[in-house]
Amino acid sequence: MTEVVIVIIIIAILVALGFGLIGMVKGGKAGSDKMFKSLATRVSLSVLLFLLVLFAGYMGWIEPNVVMVDAPVAQAPVQK
Amino acid sequence: MSEQEYYVPNGTYWPIIGSIGIATLFIGFANQMHGVSWGGSVMALGFAITVFMMFGWFGQVVNESTNGIYNKQVDRSFRWGMSWFIFSEVMFFAAFFGALFYARALSVPWLGGADNNIFTPDLWNAFSASWHQMAFLAPGTELQSGTLMSFPEVPATGIETATPAMVVDPWGLPALNTALLLASGVTLTFAHHALRAGHRNQIVGWLVATIALGAAFLGFQIMEYGHAYQDGLKLTSGIYGSTFYMLTGFHGFHVTVGVIMLTVILYRVQKGHFNADNHFGFEGVAWYWHFVDVVWLGLFVFVYWL
Repeated sequence: MTEVVIVIIIIAILVALGFGLIGMVKGGKAGSDKMFKSLATRVSLSVLLFLLVLFAGYMGWIEPNVVMVDAPVAQAPVQK
Repeated sequence: MSEQEYYVPNGTYWPIIGSIGIATLFIGFANQMHGVSWGGSVMALGFAITVFMMFGWFGQVVNESTNGIYNKQVDRSFRWGMSWFIFSEVMFFAAFFGALFYARALSVPWLGGADNNIFTPDLWNAFSASWHQMAFLAPGTELQSGTLMSFPEVPATGIETATPAMVVDPWGLPALNTALLLASGVTLTFAHHALRAGHRNQIVGWLVATIALGAAFLGFQIMEYGHAYQDGLKLTSGIYGSTFYMLTGFHGFHVTVGVIMLTVILYRVQKGHFNADNHFGFEGVAWYWHFVDVVWLGLFVFVYWL
């Protein structure tokens, strides 16, 4: 469930970034306003996402991908 | 200049200088890779010519812009040019993220015998599919890495294995770096706001903060690479090592370019090149920085967490 929310926020961030691009290409006062608002939205969503990921990790809702080297080939890598 | 006319610059020598610079750079690079003695110096020469071209050419464009030669048509073509550049950047990172998803969700499980097609569990009998598996060991191989603590026998296969060493911990530097880069997105947004409101001193302050945060990110990323490399995670460490370094490496390169571009914008702000209504140079670089920030966020979430 947490993963789904995280992916949805990422998609929303990409959409906001996309609207920012449209504003930039349009130019002029209207384009400039659109670009600024979209980018401000994308920054806010990003901070929200970062806090959510950290909180979800802290609560144990999601497990970090702990990277191991020389992991045993015949058994599953040991998580932290 | 009227709206109907399109500004066409006089004959210019910058494109040919750029071609010579880049060709020299790659001839040097290719020879360097082959161990030819003069490769490195030719590469440096090519790099110097390319940088010279950038200063000259971009400087000329900036002069033409500040001299009021450009009209709305030229402005539009700059905006479209930037959008095509961005399109190529998006596709570039889409390819590497695509490789990451493909390897992780499809090809590695297939190699481990999952699913159907021609891939069967007998493809290689000592192979067990796992995403972070760094070592691909032949039966009986003894591990040499200094990070290993013990070599317990796994009776089923007789393969020498080891206690894995943790290399990348998402709670450490990656989280700190994400915070730094996100903070740089926030300070850049403040700079953008200050520019639109016409407060030059504030723009300079926020831009300096953005550049400092970006540079700090790069410093920590170099540290992180040092740790990972010493602990045995290398470009050659299987598909994970390859995608990890390709994605984070090219991202780091983009942050470097972004820091350089922001520094140029800072210089131009101090020179008074922009005003509240006319600041495409700033907008292009700002969008680029936001994009690089989002790429990192994607990396942080998909490489380190999900």
